[in-house]
Parts: sequence; structure tokens; C-alpha cells
Amino acid sequence: MADLTWRATAAPRRSTRTWRVSTSAVVVGLVVLAVLVVPPLVNLDEQAVDLGAKLQPPSWAHPFGTDDVGRDLLLRCVYGLRVSLLVGVVAAVVATVIGTAVGAAAAAFGGWADRVVMRLVDLFSSVPHLLLGIFIVAMFRPGVWPVVISVGLTHWLSTARIVRAEVLSLRSRPYVDAAISGGASRWRVTVRHLVPGVLPQAGLAAVLMVPHAIWHESALSFLGLGLPTHQASLGTLVQSARGSLLAGDWWPTLFPGLFIIVPTLAIAGLAGAWRERLNPRRRSELML
Amino acid sequence: MTPDAPATPDPVLAVRGLSVRFRMRGDTFVRAVTDASFDLRLGECLALVGESGCGKSVLASALLGLLPGNAETAGSAHLGDTDLMTAGENVLARSVRGRRIGLVPQSPAAHLTPVRTVRSQLEETVRELTGPPRAEVRAAAERAAERAAFPADHLDRHPHELSGGLAQRAATALALIGDAPLLLADEPTTGLDRDLVERTVDELKRHTGDSRALLMITHDLAAAERIADRVAVMYAGRIVEIADAGDFFGARGPRHPYAGRLLDALPEREFTPIPGMPPELTALPDGCAFAARCTRATERCDRLPAFENSVACHHTLEVQRA
Amino acid sequence: MLELSAVTAGYEPRRPVLRDIDLDVEQGESVGLLGPSGCGKSTLARVAALLHRPESGHVVVDGETVHDWRYRAPRELRTAFGVVFQQPRLSADPRLRLAALIAEPLRAVGRTGEIPRRVEELAATVGLGAELLARRPHEVSDGQLQRACLARALVLRPRYLVCDEMTAMLDASTTAALVAVVEDYRRESGAGLLAVGHDRTLLERWCGRTVHWSQLTGDRGGDRAQDLEPAGRTAPGTA
Repeated sequence: MADLTWRATAAPRRSTRTWRVSTSAVVVGLVVLAVLVVPPLVNLDEQAVDLGAKLQPPSWAHPFGTDDVGRDLLLRCVYGLRVSLLVGVVAAVVATVIGTAVGAAAAAFGGWADRVVMRLVDLFSSVPHLLLGIFIVAMFRPGVWPVVISVGLTHWLSTARIVRAEVLSLRSRPYVDAAISGGASRWRVTVRHLVPGVLPQAGLAAVLMVPHAIWHESALSFLGLGLPTHQASLGTLVQSARGSLLAGDWWPTLFPGLFIIVPTLAIAGLAGAWRERLNPRRRSELML
Repeated sequence: MTPDAPATPDPVLAVRGLSVRFRMRGDTFVRAVTDASFDLRLGECLALVGESGCGKSVLASALLGLLPGNAETAGSAHLGDTDLMTAGENVLARSVRGRRIGLVPQSPAAHLTPVRTVRSQLEETVRELTGPPRAEVRAAAERAAERAAFPADHLDRHPHELSGGLAQRAATALALIGDAPLLLADEPTTGLDRDLVERTVDELKRHTGDSRALLMITHDLAAAERIADRVAVMYAGRIVEIADAGDFFGARGPRHPYAGRLLDALPEREFTPIPGMPPELTALPDGCAFAARCTRATERCDRLPAFENSVACHHTLEVQRA
Repeated sequence: MLELSAVTAGYEPRRPVLRDIDLDVEQGESVGLLGPSGCGKSTLARVAALLHRPESGHVVVDGETVHDWRYRAPRELRTAFGVVFQQPRLSADPRLRLAALIAEPLRAVGRTGEIPRRVEELAATVGLGAELLARRPHEVSDGQLQRACLARALVLRPRYLVCDEMTAMLDASTTAALVAVVEDYRRESGAGLLAVGHDRTLLERWCGRTVHWSQLTGDRGGDRAQDLEPAGRTAPGTA
């Protein structure tokens, strides 16, 4: 007993996952840093036009090159990411709050209320998101908030379904029976036992929604319906680069494109790790 | 701590000084298994009994190499000439699990894949473990089902269409396919009716026969009494007594006071609980872990009793219990 | 007295899992209901505890006929029952610490002032220490969690206890301990007990009267999930 030599157990396939998670975390960290710190720090005007230096390929002075009016693309990308991320996060929060409220209410009340609400959800879902989104932005003048509203109002449907399914499964747990027997009202069971139980799932849905919302913003802006073209967002950047791409100038498209793809993959990577943590079989590492 | 066995053929499984601990936050440890040693021979059924949380399921996971990442082990567990504690995941996956240790799971309904029929799961396992010619897979799967008394006309059903007893047989059929010399049954009877418990353990005993060894981990003392040749009692992570099942459940009775009180708690005996609760595995006492609940405890019990003559106690119940 | 008469109940329309069942539990009486798994005895327990609305039949609690179930049942009637289920893991909200779990019914009925005293009392009764009370369900063993669930069932001092396979997952010592807690409470309060289970030895030792499911159905049976062989032995009479 005195000379115990302890060995760690081999945990298969753990290293690659850790690698993926830490890479994602680093990327997300860099993105947040870039978006929060860089603009106030460098204090450069991303709108500064330099017609003498238009459409220059990447160089030391302009690592991402310049666009067709000579604006520095690195700076434009960072500002664009800032706008897109803001739109993405706010829209995801709006969508998640609506989705959670609708889904939880439908499941908690059940019966005809549930049926009516969920048929409405089905109805909304049958219309393509983008079409509905276009319809909503078209009612406003171009700007950031119409895009947020458009994305938020079209993306709560899947969250509502997820939350409803989760609440329904929790509702049949014996601990709900025990709460009823302990005198709890329907409202109390819902807010104290059911909704807190689905919050991790809803939070996960929100995180997964951020990249989705960023793509959606980009798509709307690319179609010329989202943000005004002079305002840098990842979507407007790609859109205004169309002409140059046909002329063989690749950098105005490539870098904003990478700025859309890499951060969204990183966010999705972190969300994936979170989902795995929610998996009940992994939650208690201890198996006593 | 040598096993008290006569010169018989080499054991199927030889566990020596096996310990498992889990590293928790703040560098505290949960000492789930401490210094467990036992042998298991062909044709023998050893029942490992104890309260929930005493570490018996962790011991099973350790033997299968299925411990989570924060676990650390010490000691050895030889299955033939393979030390399960140091063998790599590749060895365990390719040549141990299924092939040399057949696992009879705790809840068969959860162990079977819900979306596939019993037949397709049996065939997959047959292909994976024995690799017969393609044409013979079907027949081999049917033979496997027959061996576990799983009715052929239920083979094309999905797990949710089976009763508890049949699901248990399907899981047993899967465990038997690899012809593993060691069967490991982890709480095989939890939540089953008494009749089904008896049938399930009888079948396990039958499959063990002379050609296998069975390690049954259970909190069900009646199931253990029914089929075990030997009983190992676990308390707070340690094996405190290993006894011949006939003696243990019979007139001689257990020798460790904890084992005695555990039997007395049965509804067919005194039906009296042991006062208090087992110590936390994060804060085990230096001495005997049962002393705090034991009526025979003296200051000697502040020292850890050695495991001698198959029991670890300073004040064994040597007198025949009235 | 708790009276169930001609109860038919199930989960899908026209597919009852139990049909036309009569069962009485007197104040202060302990009744063991013995039956194989899947026979519908848990459903009957839920009907009795006002947790599942039967398709037809009557439930009368101390002379008061029950008209509504679950949330709609009057609170005084619902809280006249303490329920304990088979699987403590599923019976405990995973986010609540054991102390909060035990106190939950007091909080639900607005008697928060009694919480400290009652939780302390009941923790001592079921044998949970202060350190365990501060833990969450995944940090304790099945046996410890079931002790907390039993404490929760007793916290409002119910007139009837309904224990559905309370000890099926537990070892002998914890089983004996929990049964002793239930029996102490019954002796002291005069509450009635309906203990549902499949372990004949246990129920006959525990309860004053043991009823086999087949006696209630008059062996019409047939509704249970089919098994390969029928449960071999038939019930002897009441004890």
C-alpha cells in the first residue's frame, strides 16, 4: 500500500478533441480582441480613400491589399467583422429569447395551445428564411437594426422546436410528479424546474445561431438589401468585391470570405464542445 | 496478501493490489477502489457485493479499460498474460473486450441499439468478433441467439418490442458470441422481478459452466446467494471479506462485521439497517473504514486491518452466530 | 381512507394498462401491492396519488371524491400524498442541492418559515449529514439521493405515502433503513401506506397486508407486455 505507483488511464481520442477546442477558443479570442480592441486602438479611418493606391495586392503596407477606391482591406475586414458579429450576437439572442419563450409555453401548457402554436411555427417554417427576411428588411430603410430584426424574427423557429421537445421530455420526469404532489402550481413547475432545465440547450442553440446569423447578414448585404454599401460588413465587402473578382483581383473577395468562414467555424467548434459536455453520459465523469 | 487457493490451474483473472482513484478539482481524490486482490478460476462464479457507491462498478470499468480520463490506477489485473491495467486501448479494443471478456450489461434495453433489430446486432457482432464467411453469418447469429435461449421468432424485433427478460437474453447472446473465457456481469438484475432475477442468474451460471469464469457485480444478495461459488464483500472501496458462498450464506455466516450486518438487513433476516452511512470516498479514515458504524470497534480499529485469511478485520465474527 | 373503485387507466385512448381495479387503504394501514413489472401497478399508484387521471372509476380520499388530477387537483388534496419513486436520479431536479430538494414542497406551498427546522429534522430522520445536504444529485450515491427523496415526501406530513418500487435500486442496508423511516413516520402520524413492488419477501415483511396484482384483476391480465413465460408462482392470500 505504501509504494503505490499511480498510472493515468489512457483516454482515447481525447487529444484531437482538445486540439480542436483550443484552436477554436484561440480563434474566437482573437476575433473578440480584434473587434473590441483594434478599432479604438489604431484609430485609423477605415473609410479613408486613397485613389492613388486602389486595388493593390497584399503587401507589407496593406496586408490584405486595398479595394477599388484604395481603402485598406485589413481594416475594412476588422470593421466588417465588428458589424457582422454585433448583428449576429444580437440577432441570435433575440431569436433564442423568442424561441425559448414560445417553445416552453407551448410545451408547458400542452393541449390545444400547444397545437395552435406549433402549427404556426410549421407555417412560418414553410416560408424560406431568406424570403421572409427580405420581406422584413424591405419595410425599413437600410441599416443595422432592420437586419437584426429580420434575422432575429426569422430564426427563432428551430429554437422553439428544440426547447419544446426538451420541455416535453422533462415534463414526464418523476421529479415533476413529485413537485405536483408537493403542491407546486403549473407556473412554478415551469419556471423552477422546466425552463432552467432547458437553458443549457437554449444557450447552445444561441451560440450555434451566431454563425448562422452572420451568414444571413452577409447574404442580405450581398443581395444589396442589408447594410448600406459604404458601411463595412462582411457581406457588403464581398458584394462590392464582385467586380474586381471578374477582373482577376482575388484579394477583395478572399479575405472577407475567410473572415466569414473562420470565425463561424470556430464558434461552431466551441459550441460542439459545449454540446458534448451537455451529454448526460459525459456529465458525470465519476461512475460510482 | 496471497490468495488462499490450493495449487489449481492458473486463474482466468488474477487481480493484485488494484486501486482506482479519480482526480477531482483542487487535487483531491476520490478513492473508489483500494488494494483489491482476488483470483477467478475456470468454472467459478465470484459475486462482488456491496452498497451502491462502494466502488464495485468502478472495479468493473477498470477491468474493461473504460475508466474516464480523470482516473488513475495502480496494481495489476492479469487476464491470462495480459495486464489489463497497463494494456493500451488498442489491445483492449481489439483483443480483450468482447473476445476475452464478455460484458453482460446493467440495463440491456439501453445496451442494445434501439433502431436496429436483434438479428442485425447479433450479425454485426459475429462479423466483428469471429469473421466467418459471409454466407455463415446468419446461421452463426442464430446459433448465438439459441445459445442464450433467445427465441428465433423474435430475432427481427427491435429492442423496444422485447420484454425485460428477452432484452436481457439478447444482451447475453451478444456477450457470449466472442467465446470469452471471462464473463463480467455488472448489476445484471437491477429492476427485474424476482422470477426474472432468478432466471437471469441461472442462465448466467449455465453459460459459465466449466469453460468460463463469471464475475458478477451486484447489490442483490439473494441473486449472489443463488449462483455464487465465492462472495467478495466490498466496503468503501476495499474488499473486506472473500468467502465460500455456502459458508457465507449458510450456518457459518460471514466473518466481517460489515458483511454480517449487511446480511442482517435483508427482509428475510432481521431487516435492521446498519446505522449511519459509509464514509465518503474523498475522506476515508486511516483505520478500518467500517469502525464508525461497527459495534465491535475498539481503538485497535484505528489501525488499518490487514487482509488475512480472507478477511480484513481486527474483531472477526469467528463464533457461530446464534 | 383512500378508496379506489373500478379504476381504468392508461396512456392512450382505448388502450388501458389497467382495468376495473378496486383497492382500499385505511388510515394507518400499510398495503403492499405486489406484481410483475409492466403490469400497470405503477400507473395505479400514480392514479392513487392524484398524478394520473383515470379514464373511468372513482378515487375517494377521506370521504372526499376526487374530480381533478395533477395541477387541477386542490392543493390540500395533492399534498395529502407523499410519493417516492423507483429511480432517485429521475426523481430529483439535477440542479437543486439536497437541502433545497427536501425543502421544495414547503417553498411551493409558501411555508418558507418552517424550512430550516423541517430540513434539519428530516435530514436527521433519513440520516443525511450537513455536508451531503449541500451537494447536488450527481455528487451523491443512489442510496443517499433516495434518502433525500423520501425526506421530501415527508416534509409536508402527508396523510398517505405512495412508494413505487422505492427500494428496487438499493442495497439491503439502505432498503432496511428507508423502510424503517417510513414505518416510524406511520406509527407516529397514523398515515396510510401504499407500497408497490415486485419483491414478495420485502413487501410481506414490510406491510400489514399484501395484495397480488392478479387478485385485483381477477386474473384477467393479458394487458402486460408479453413475456416468454408467465410469472411462475401465483399469490397466496393476504397476510
